[in-house]
Amino acid sequence: MKILVPLKRVADPDNANKVKIPAAGDKIETTGLEWKPNPFDEYALEAALRLTENGQTPKVRAGEVVVVTFGPKETEQTLRAALATGADRAIRIDTTDDKLDGDLVARALAALIEKEKPDVVVMGKQAVDGDSNQVGQILAELLDWPMATFAATIKEEAGALVVSREVDGGVATMRVKLPAIVTVDLRIVAPTSVYSTKTAATFKYNDGVRFAALPAIMAAKKKLLVEIKLADLAADQALKVEYKAFQAPPARKAGIKVKDVTELVTRLKNEAKVL
Amino acid sequence: MPPMIEQSFMKALFHGVIAEDMIFPYPELPSDDRENTAMILDSVRRYFAANVDAAKIDREHAIPPEVMDGLKSLGLFGLQIPTDHDGIGLSASAYARVMQEVGGLDGSIAVTLGAHQSIGLKGILLFGTPEQKRKYLPKLATGEWTAAFALTEPSAGSDAAAIKTRAELSADGSHYVLNGAKIWITNGGFADVFTVFARTSSMEEGAKPKITAFIVERGMGVKNGPNEHKLGIRGSSTTELFFDDVKVPKENVLGEVGRGFKVAMEVLNSGRLGLASGSLGMCEVLLKLALERVNERRAFGRAIGEFGLIKDKVSAMLAQTYALESMTYLTAGIVDGKVSDYSLESAICKVFGSETLWYVVNDTLQIAAGIGYMQDYPYERMMRDARINLIFEGTNEILRCFIALSGMQGPGKALSDVVKAMREPIKGFGLLSDFAVRKARSVLGRERLTRAHPLLSREAVIFEEFTGELASNTELVLRKHGKEIAEMQFTQKRIAEMSIDLFAIASCIARTTRAIERRGEEGARREIDLTSIFTTAAQKRLRQNVHDFSRNDDELRKAVASRAYTDRAYPFDIV
Ligand SMILES: Cc1cc2nc3c(=O)[nH]c(=O)nc-3n(C[C@H](O)[C@H](O)[C@H](O)COP(=O)(O)OP(=O)(O)OC[C@H]3O[C@@H](n4cnc5c(N)ncnc54)[C@H](O)[C@@H]3O)c2cc1C
Repeated sequence: MKILVPLKRVADPDNANKVKIPAAGDKIETTGLEWKPNPFDEYALEAALRLTENGQTPKVRAGEVVVVTFGPKETEQTLRAALATGADRAIRIDTTDDKLDGDLVARALAALIEKEKPDVVVMGKQAVDGDSNQVGQILAELLDWPMATFAATIKEEAGALVVSREVDGGVATMRVKLPAIVTVDLRIVAPTSVYSTKTAATFKYNDGVRFAALPAIMAAKKKLLVEIKLADLAADQALKVEYKAFQAPPARKAGIKVKDVTELVTRLKNEAKVL
Repeated sequence: MPPMIEQSFMKALFHGVIAEDMIFPYPELPSDDRENTAMILDSVRRYFAANVDAAKIDREHAIPPEVMDGLKSLGLFGLQIPTDHDGIGLSASAYARVMQEVGGLDGSIAVTLGAHQSIGLKGILLFGTPEQKRKYLPKLATGEWTAAFALTEPSAGSDAAAIKTRAELSADGSHYVLNGAKIWITNGGFADVFTVFARTSSMEEGAKPKITAFIVERGMGVKNGPNEHKLGIRGSSTTELFFDDVKVPKENVLGEVGRGFKVAMEVLNSGRLGLASGSLGMCEVLLKLALERVNERRAFGRAIGEFGLIKDKVSAMLAQTYALESMTYLTAGIVDGKVSDYSLESAICKVFGSETLWYVVNDTLQIAAGIGYMQDYPYERMMRDARINLIFEGTNEILRCFIALSGMQGPGKALSDVVKAMREPIKGFGLLSDFAVRKARSVLGRERLTRAHPLLSREAVIFEEFTGELASNTELVLRKHGKEIAEMQFTQKRIAEMSIDLFAIASCIARTTRAIERRGEEGARREIDLTSIFTTAAQKRLRQNVHDFSRNDDELRKAVASRAYTDRAYPFDIV
């Protein structure tokens, strides 16, 4: 199976140099930010790796995982990290973040998919910076492929994937024929979430995403990483989404301390008016 | 630049020469290396977060076997082994950065990994024959085999040349037979391969011993005692080793027969840098703890961080840690730049690193106060773990003597050459005039630090001034005391303290200059301020040390100590 995994880097929320908004409020200041991969994209990569191996012998790859990102040269670090973790090949589509919206990303990916012809695109359900949650859906529409969003589990069958998602009050399961688009939620990295046809049903993964051993990090340097110009994938680079203004959330007011439960209840009733 | 007298920044400094091209521009990781190191750190953090419980390792006095296996499969046992021997092939700088991370995460693991590769297998890397490398490095790189460094003996700690373990060549010359015992050997409980130092000449009082280094496999008959119970780094294994007619093939001699002391010293020179970076990693974690605490803890209606005495501690800890980081990566960069003599610099890093850590852990614990003392919090464990760094790989006293005496060796030789030249004026003319030029320069004006950024001119002037003082006082004490200087430890200590502070200031200046050039004054505000604070504090110490060369109570102190040795106790009691 050949899988394409789009990756995005996002500002590290734990980093001391928090996101800043200049007084004009017209953009987000990105210089000096520290970056890390969007967590849902890391989950997508993990799911893709699980689909292309026997969980028992992950070093033997069965299939191909191609990772792709949009961004300037520095974003290659995100790709290298994915290559070190087990992806086979990487593509960087050269552009900068402020020249993109979900629609343009989806159109460029669709053009790339025409060339790459993957069996599945596994991607995060959304990026934690913009929280748009739309690239997967637009992409499925553009390609006219079946789609399964918010996947919590994926099981490979011949020519199809059985995908389940958590919904209110239960689990919805569907079978999508390949080629298909799957967007994943955080449950996808649980020990029994993803099974390729090669992995025994009794096998349990470690919880969470795998990380690269040091020799793999060094070996990843030899893996193929190519650059493509955005213009070669999307002639029309007009954006459909225009950001009007950015605003930092209001500073939190200091909390109060209550003496006892009675006071807590009174305050919740009278002041917070939530009871 | 003046002709290079020494191949070492610090050794040149003892002549009063500021070899600034050796420290400017401040080194940095090549971008490729930086990217790899960032990924390695990411994997290390993830692995430790999911699998390592430092408090439990301390409590149970052991690193769990599955963690050891995990560390091995991660690749942490072969960090500096070249890739063609199946290692990761990190540069000294990248290695230091990884050890910094590990040092901050768990002291026991840091010491275990350090004993394996900073010293245990380092001899094979530095002195091994191609056959020895082929045989041992690949297995050591994966951790299938682990290594230890076995020098210390019951009657030979600091005085390593006094070791008694004997290596006797067999009658047919095919192997050596080792007999003796070692103590306090890190990884002694499980290591498979030992770098062992033994005497290959007979034991004669006063005679210079011939020491040889050997690669000894456990299977050749090495036995170990039980794990020692220790103050800190309790998860690391520290044991005695016993050699009872252990047969070692002559192919396993490491380096040259009789040159084992050199092997030991070279290994320790590079090992000390690892200790400094591990200490730095702990400082960083402690600062994080301290900075959380000062915001959270309230007293007298305010966060304790608002009190002046807390700010005083925090700023001083930051400045000191910045100096430590700056000198550690300057030295690592010097090593990567293939400068072969970094013995003074790495000794300075070890002393300054371990003492900075001790100071930072003490003040952080003080800020935490009551909870700092409780076992439910990490402070007391970190304090116990930190303490070893002042002791092993050369005690800080021994290293101070080493820094002073090794630094003064160049000027001492120059002086005696000059004395000789004066006896034979014609033959020695070249030498004399060279010396005269240097003299003239030091009289007419001090050596300049021209590459420091103008914003750091105050610090640069302090550095220049006390470089002049170091050189002139070195010359003074050498002229006055000659060979006797070897016995004058009070003076040695002053010289060493000055060297340490000067190297720290130079490191801060070089690094902050780079920061200003990259990011401008405002962008480099933090670095500029910390350089200023550190240099001001160092200046006070430097002044004091210079003052004390001529006005001190050394003799009185010696007398008081000697009298106390006969008293054998504190002599007073008010009852
Ligand atoms: C946890 C631990 C792990 C260790 N791991 C290893 C290891 O893996 N391999 C190994 O070979 N060794 C190891 N050691 C040994 C360590 O290197 C020695 O303890 C150290 O070198 C000091 O020797 P000593 O303890 O015998 O002290 P001593 O040499 O007896 O010194 C006692 C005191 O006298 C001072 N002193 C000694 N000589 C002088 C002098 N000339 N001038 C001024 N002061 C002096 C010392 O600084 C010290 O304060 C380890 C020790 C410990 C505690």
